[in-house]
Amino acid sequence: MPGGGRCPGCGSSELVEDSHYSQSQLVCSDCGCVVTEGVLTTTFTDEGNLREVTYSRSTGKNEQVSRSQQRGLCRVRDLCRVLQLPPAFEDTAVAYYQQAYQHSGIRAARLQKKEVLVGCCVLITCRQRNWPLTMGTICTLLYADLDVFSGTYMQMVKLLGLDVPSLCLVDLVKTYCSSFKLFEASPSVPAKYVEDKDKMLSRTLQLVELADETWLVTGRHPLPVITAATFLAWQSLRPSDRLPCSLARFCKLANVDLPYPASSRLQELLAVLLRMAEQLAWLQVLKLDKRSVVKHIGDLLQHRHTLVRKAFRDGTAEMDTQEKELQGQEQGQGQGQGPSEEDVGSSPSDLPAGKRPASPALLLPPCMLKPPKRVCPTPPVSTVTGDENISDSEIEQYLRTPQEVRDFQRAQAAGQAAMNVPNPP
Amino acid sequence: MEEEETYLELYLDRCAAQDALVPPRSPVLSPAVPYDVYIPNLSNPETTFNSQLEEVTETSGNFSSVDLSFLPDELTQESKDQTVIRSKHEIEENCKTQSRQSRLPLPSQQDIGLALNSSSGSNSHSHLHTGDADSAQPSPEKPYSLPLASITPMTPMTPVSECSGIVPQLQNIVSTVNLACKLDLKKIALHAKNAEYNPKRFAAVIMRIREPRTTALIFSSGKMVCTGAKSEEQSRLAARKYARVVQKLGFPARFLDFKIQNMVGSCDVRFPIRLEGLVLTHQQFSSYEPELFPGLIYRMVKPRIVLLIFVSGKVVLTGAKERSDIYEAFENIYPILKGFKKT
Repeated sequence: MPGGGRCPGCGSSELVEDSHYSQSQLVCSDCGCVVTEGVLTTTFTDEGNLREVTYSRSTGKNEQVSRSQQRGLCRVRDLCRVLQLPPAFEDTAVAYYQQAYQHSGIRAARLQKKEVLVGCCVLITCRQRNWPLTMGTICTLLYADLDVFSGTYMQMVKLLGLDVPSLCLVDLVKTYCSSFKLFEASPSVPAKYVEDKDKMLSRTLQLVELADETWLVTGRHPLPVITAATFLAWQSLRPSDRLPCSLARFCKLANVDLPYPASSRLQELLAVLLRMAEQLAWLQVLKLDKRSVVKHIGDLLQHRHTLVRKAFRDGTAEMDTQEKELQGQEQGQGQGQGPSEEDVGSSPSDLPAGKRPASPALLLPPCMLKPPKRVCPTPPVSTVTGDENISDSEIEQYLRTPQEVRDFQRAQAAGQAAMNVPNPP
Repeated sequence: MEEEETYLELYLDRCAAQDALVPPRSPVLSPAVPYDVYIPNLSNPETTFNSQLEEVTETSGNFSSVDLSFLPDELTQESKDQTVIRSKHEIEENCKTQSRQSRLPLPSQQDIGLALNSSSGSNSHSHLHTGDADSAQPSPEKPYSLPLASITPMTPMTPVSECSGIVPQLQNIVSTVNLACKLDLKKIALHAKNAEYNPKRFAAVIMRIREPRTTALIFSSGKMVCTGAKSEEQSRLAARKYARVVQKLGFPARFLDFKIQNMVGSCDVRFPIRLEGLVLTHQQFSSYEPELFPGLIYRMVKPRIVLLIFVSGKVVLTGAKERSDIYEAFENIYPILKGFKKT
């Protein structure tokens, strides 16, 4: 759909390039009116439809703009329309594309990169106006590789010196959740799985907020966290019927792709919820596990702020006390800071006597909680000066003896011959 | 006191040896930049005498009144000033990491490049104690004793609050050198055991040596790139070894224009960092795209270093041409990161 064209018959802007035999035509897809036809007729309006016109009738509007750039600008507008963005976004995205095109590095780039550049412009426009568009969506639409996209995107931001705000999580949750096909019954979605949109949305938002607070979102791709949160929200709204449903099945019947990290995010979120549940007296006796805690998510979310504060001690405070402890030991003074900190943290006053929740866990990102895979040994201090003598024997260990050279050459020749032998008839 | 004297003699012997080897690098450390030494524990008996002082207290003692008569003669004259001033430099007492481990001296070249920060008024007269490896007995009432063995290098006088107590470890040095002669790569690949050459894949010979563990790309024009070393001196030594190998293979290789092109360091601040917050407050320098990369890319302007900051508190610094750039960059970012510590 080229930009700016309107059908003179019905006024719609849905113009499609269609060819009638060998003659290319611009046809209105609503009323079928032929707006322009190839080189048979060229009028002033044709230029507005990005058709070729004779020199004497041309306005020169597109002269400064190269064909490749024109195509790119067309693609930008097309992409905005496919994504159903507000009209103002189109102009901004086009402006960014033109701005980028002024740099020689972009002008000389491959077509693949220019294609991806279209997506970058649209993405930046959306980000700046808080429209939650993920890079994954754009890459799918453009059939582009995320690596190529990421390179072009970073280059463009740097080149144009742009300030691109982060993806707004709340908006992304709303858009993404709305795309789940669970809000009305259908042949694939039984009645017990149908859920009210607002309830699910609000609960998902609370779960995502909880995940953000407990370090499950920083540094990770945002979408899998939202998928896991949506699943938990949906399950917890009617646990008796929905507990048997797995995450994969849930995504399938909601007609949404399951991102790979979503299952591990789900486990992390459940672990956080379990820790919070340990702080509630009436849940402690139930000895919850990862499945049964889902039934109580509503309660946990209602008191989530208090529970997180009680269930987790600040990871950084813990480290400070640890260090002070060691300092104290070094100085020969026993400081009982460590144990006393524990006591303070894990004895809320509203618990029955003799019944204590588990000692608070550290509130740290999962990557810090896991033990290090391998302990990196600190490199020994080297007293190399760079000017030492290099002994001949050390160098000679890297050289082949003449006999070895001959053997190697023979082996290479044999290898070559084997490759060049034609297939037996 | 006798113990201190033997330590001093040992130390001074080392100094004499170090003084003989003048490093090619120029002093690059600016007095304004505070940095500190954080050296992990190493149970090397040789280094225990260099173990770190645990605590420093201020005294009003004047260095000019110090009796240096026991110093050997050549030191009394020439490096007396240097020794005295160097002894003024010590680790700030409130660095919490200090007390934990025994220190190791950094490679000697850093000693000599020190910019003497005698301009800072604070802590100019500090009372140094000798410390044992395991425990420190700070005794402020002890009369002034000469600073001795545990003089760790590169510790300019700085106010306590600026110290981070963490020193980034260098992980990789990339350097280039010009061998100044045309090379026959096929011949090199044939005669050298440690070389690989696949002209269809890449137009250079990839050669490796074991000590220092490095890799070199040797091009037919005679230019060479050496990567993988952990210090500037190691990189230079490795490059020389590669040049020698090429020489032994019959080419008139020289060693021109050795230059460090890039240095990569890493360290750990030991607390989690809210990257979303950091990108909000330092938008003009940071780039945080969790959809693409889990770390935040911070492009520091002065010094021109790129830092990769991760949620776990690990920081990677790259783009430096000098070691001091990395240290300076880390000292610049540490207070910023600390601001995001309590979340």
